[in-house]
Amino acid sequence: MTPAETSRYIPNRTPCGRTRRQFLWQTGGGFAGLALLDLLSRERAFATEAVGRSAHFAARAKHVVFLFMNGGPSQVDTFDPKPELDRLHGQTYSGPHAVGSNGRPIGHLSKSVFPFTNHGDSGLPISSLYPHLSRHADDLCVIRSLHTDTAAHASGCLQMNSGSVTIGKPSLGSWLSYGLGTLNENLPSYVVMTDPRGGPIGSASNWSSGYMPANYQGTLFRSGGSPLLDLATPLGTDDVTQRRSLDLLNTLNQKHLAANAGDAELAARIESYELAFRMQTAAADAVAVDHESAATLAMYGIEQPTTADFGRKCLITRRLLERGVRFIQLYSGGGHIEDTWDGHTDCVTNHRLHAGETDQPIAALIADLKRTGLWEETLLVWGGEFGRTPTSEGVDKPGRDHDWHGFTMWLAGAGVRGGQAIGATDEVGFAAVEQPYHVRDLHATVLQLMGLDHRLLTYFHQGLDQRLTGIEHVAKVITPALA
Amino acid sequence: MPRPGLLFRLLASFAGVTTILAAEQPPSAVVPSDVAVEAVDYLRDVKPLLRSRCVSCHGPLNQAAGLRLDAATAIRRGADEGAVVVAGNPAASRMMARVLTHDPDQRMPPTGAALNDRELAILETWIRTGAVAPSGEKLAVSPRDHWAFQPLTAIDVPTVSDEDWPRNAIDRFVLAKLESRSWSPSPAASPPQLLRRVYLDLIGLPPTPEEQSQWLSELAASSEPPETLVASSAALPDAVAASALDRWYERLVRDLLSRPSHGERYARYWLDVVRYADSNGYERDAAKPEVWRYRDYVIRAFNEDVPFDRFVLEQIAGDELEDADGESMIATGFHRLGPWDDEPADFATDRFDQLDDMVSVTSEAFLALTLGCARCHDHKFDPLSQRDYYSLVAVFNPLSRPQDGRTELTLPSVPPARRVGLSDEALKQSPPGYFLRETSPTAPATHILVRGNPHQPSEEVGPAVPAILDSGNWQFLPPSEWTSRRRLSLANWLVDPGNPLTARVIVNRVWQWHFGQGLARTPNDFGFNGQPPTHPELLDYLSKWFVEEADWSLKKLHLLIVTSSTYRQSRADRPAYAAEDPENLLLWRRSVQRLEVEPIRDSMLQISGQLDSALFGPPIYPLVPREALESHADKTAIWPAYDPAAAARRTVYAFTKRSLMVPMLEVLDLCDTTRSTPRRNVTTVPTQALVLYNGGFTIEQAGHLARRLRNEAGNDWAAQIDLAWRLALCRPPRPDEQAAMLGFIDSELAHLRQLRGASEHDADGDAEISDAARTQLGRVVFNLNEFVYPD
Repeated sequence: MTPAETSRYIPNRTPCGRTRRQFLWQTGGGFAGLALLDLLSRERAFATEAVGRSAHFAARAKHVVFLFMNGGPSQVDTFDPKPELDRLHGQTYSGPHAVGSNGRPIGHLSKSVFPFTNHGDSGLPISSLYPHLSRHADDLCVIRSLHTDTAAHASGCLQMNSGSVTIGKPSLGSWLSYGLGTLNENLPSYVVMTDPRGGPIGSASNWSSGYMPANYQGTLFRSGGSPLLDLATPLGTDDVTQRRSLDLLNTLNQKHLAANAGDAELAARIESYELAFRMQTAAADAVAVDHESAATLAMYGIEQPTTADFGRKCLITRRLLERGVRFIQLYSGGGHIEDTWDGHTDCVTNHRLHAGETDQPIAALIADLKRTGLWEETLLVWGGEFGRTPTSEGVDKPGRDHDWHGFTMWLAGAGVRGGQAIGATDEVGFAAVEQPYHVRDLHATVLQLMGLDHRLLTYFHQGLDQRLTGIEHVAKVITPALA
Repeated sequence: MPRPGLLFRLLASFAGVTTILAAEQPPSAVVPSDVAVEAVDYLRDVKPLLRSRCVSCHGPLNQAAGLRLDAATAIRRGADEGAVVVAGNPAASRMMARVLTHDPDQRMPPTGAALNDRELAILETWIRTGAVAPSGEKLAVSPRDHWAFQPLTAIDVPTVSDEDWPRNAIDRFVLAKLESRSWSPSPAASPPQLLRRVYLDLIGLPPTPEEQSQWLSELAASSEPPETLVASSAALPDAVAASALDRWYERLVRDLLSRPSHGERYARYWLDVVRYADSNGYERDAAKPEVWRYRDYVIRAFNEDVPFDRFVLEQIAGDELEDADGESMIATGFHRLGPWDDEPADFATDRFDQLDDMVSVTSEAFLALTLGCARCHDHKFDPLSQRDYYSLVAVFNPLSRPQDGRTELTLPSVPPARRVGLSDEALKQSPPGYFLRETSPTAPATHILVRGNPHQPSEEVGPAVPAILDSGNWQFLPPSEWTSRRRLSLANWLVDPGNPLTARVIVNRVWQWHFGQGLARTPNDFGFNGQPPTHPELLDYLSKWFVEEADWSLKKLHLLIVTSSTYRQSRADRPAYAAEDPENLLLWRRSVQRLEVEPIRDSMLQISGQLDSALFGPPIYPLVPREALESHADKTAIWPAYDPAAAARRTVYAFTKRSLMVPMLEVLDLCDTTRSTPRRNVTTVPTQALVLYNGGFTIEQAGHLARRLRNEAGNDWAAQIDLAWRLALCRPPRPDEQAAMLGFIDSELAHLRQLRGASEHDADGDAEISDAARTQLGRVVFNLNEFVYPD
């Protein structure tokens, strides 16, 4: 199966005109496309309607890597320099927005302790938190004017992942799997790697397929040990027995299949066991970073304790991309407050820790993708569920509270015009004021780069043609970001 | 703000002017020429475009300016004021002028984004190339004529040629349809096949070997020698034997329907429909205290065959009934089952999200109407207005959630009318219930919200039922001393004989639960977007029968369906039929139908001898592998440690945590718990193979099965394999299967002995090796296709 054959888009927007094939696509497709292919082959003889399969646009990217900085990184300490904030340091914020979430103490405007320097030919300013990433400044398209609907982590993560603050909606990776299908046969199409300290709040609802079938949901990959749940051959069973017992199962199932006239659904289930068996090897192989050269391991920082985990995840990411995984989401930070980017009490120490854990690995991933050529087909997305206030949390305290009125994310890689900053927050960095973009605009942009029109990628549910970008609002593609 | 209809009439009156303007403006100047549109096809390109952007105002439901754009004939007919499309001449076509203009008062569609370049090019090309469309396109009916809204009338049972096949009316409807194509039904399943099918269907567990021999020998005593029955699935016995077979089968069905495990099986289907879960979802995902009492209520109601109309009344308004009691109070937990964000971003929005949850689940579960679509605007395709939606919001608006900040509270399950004079002590003695309450007979005001925005209330509305279904203007009762009685009024209407939907909807669900698909295959959507029934007369006949003859008894309905010849067909291979009707819409055979995860897991427990069949009570916690907890913010406290004995109960009792589904259940297509699930997905993916083949639960149960086989079948591999087959598949292994199993055991024993350097003469060591091989045997049996796809 070549990528071209599996790349498909079904315009599921006709209310009662959903074809049977579209219905099958909604209910049967996904994972490795296996069930669907079988169902389609059964159907082929009876097909009466032609269904368009092409994406709307020529895709600029085939893969997405979403580097999720869980907890909310501070824009004024990373990619959004604010000289005015230095000047107004210690004064009370007098702008139009309410400061603070959930009754937390409100402090004064508080300048960043991390100095900004201009980098690359573009002169893109990046703070001292990112010495490694700064070398790739000309690749980054920084968007400084994002905003979202909520000040809470749970709903913020949900919105960043699914476009909606309520649970039960499919995530971005599910929409891409649904819209584009898979690029590989032996691995899931949508992989999530969380932080060893814990997952994001709401955990699996962040990579849920919502109202779509379960095969479009993200599959949790662990960076150490056995990467997938129940992937390993159980204790007490060796490889010989595993293979022989599967052969026995296959023999018995084939007899049953023959007695049932080769029914496609039964045949698909037989094949799924062989696929699972191949996956045992393929998935284990994908995480076997020990085979990489010492230089590569060093580049990702895998030998240093601070960067070991995220470095390993970034290296596995490259290996998964090579193996045709479509959407990979990496979480930096997890579990409780200061174990994430949620720097309420001491944002300086917090960000030094989390940026320090991720800076070198992300830079290494960019360099490695360029080396392997994957850079030309991979879109990188960096950011958290919201940003942090330019004010301190409590007077003269080093913490910062949640800021959903304006925050920064960056895009890089396939189809992205790097070396630029788009949009702007106000003079102190609190709220998006120039070219403001909502989270749904970011989603529309990711879909666009993947060749999908966010208005036309729909899924029929509860009487409506649902969209990632919602049906109540109109999203806009962030066109200045496109190369 | 004028109502949409008025607005469109105003706009339409300017249409003539626009035509002239457009004629002076060559469209090539406006339709970008660089948007290449290859050959345009009406069905593929034009119709979906018009349907998504135009048909809500210019379609079967509304005909603004007298124009319909939902079929080519209607497009050619044009609007009240004349043609809108001139074939071959886009410049002269009013439709093009209206979609191209930049004048916001003129532009179509009047709301939302303008048509994009590609869409404009599609219309332009279609018109320029002659506005061609295939003939035979059907014009949708007017909403009032929609099948689902028609009253239930007496239906004649059709006559058929083959008088021998039908056992009851169901079969005559099915057969008449088959005969109209000169088709015939498939042969009946054999008694052993039927036995396993009906056990798994009605109680969700296979018959034990003892039950198998008891039932089959009973049948043999009344008709034929059992060897024939086991060996042959061919023709039915002769007429006399057939009636003995029927009597036997009916006894079997009645026996299963009378078992407590029947309620455990069928309650689960209902729990899917009502979005049941044991926690709230969202950040804290706190447990819903005592919510399991609602689950037990459903099991009990199904087992006691509470008439379905009563079942509806109790769930919607169990507190407002004259004979309300503790159970009917628990039943109203229905309204409180949805997800709940205890720290919402916006409290007003959250309140309306909760009301939306109640309106949506009520209208989908009982009426199969997607009324939730009308929250922000009139339903685009069904005759349901925003007013209809907020009229139902007004019904639920008096309900409030007992809570103390983020902590949810329970209440004594005592009806309001009976609380009077009860001491605190007495109240404490009634079981605590998880339900919402009305604290006053005076209902709060409910307003239509502009575009669904809680901060933009407009006109106030009172409680009412959807106008399209309410020819007699349903009267809402005045408040009682304690509550508004709005829900009671709604519930009374739901089960009123004049309401055609409630009976149709539940009959269709029950049909789906037995056949895998409903007669109408969109069981939560009987509107214009739903699929119409394959056998509309049968659905109506059954619905009327269900209300009038069966007095809303679900068990009578189960009995009628399950004893029909239609249900008893085998899964015959008939390539010619399959080619024409691959989805078995005409019911010419038994469909291939996979078991849901609950009967799979429950069967494994029974077969391994571990099933604890205790009924009711607080939830159990199935195995969640440690690795699956790592992605959670609170990975240590989120799920209790696994206690295999406590968890060895029916899966319906498993704690459903919205943020942490038990992986085995989730992977095997458990329902979405945030919204009503009309039918589970059936996916086939390799992660299912991983969990069922490598997962800890399978290995654990395979180990128990291994010990059971050794204990019960003795030290004889052939006998052990035979027992395993009877336990899991309810039949003895065929010789080739037996040979394959024995061959595997031989190689496995040799392999393990070699691996461990053991000798078969070392009794202790060899017993361990035998157990290991037997465990592999059990593992294979649990993964057989025949195990999860019963005949």
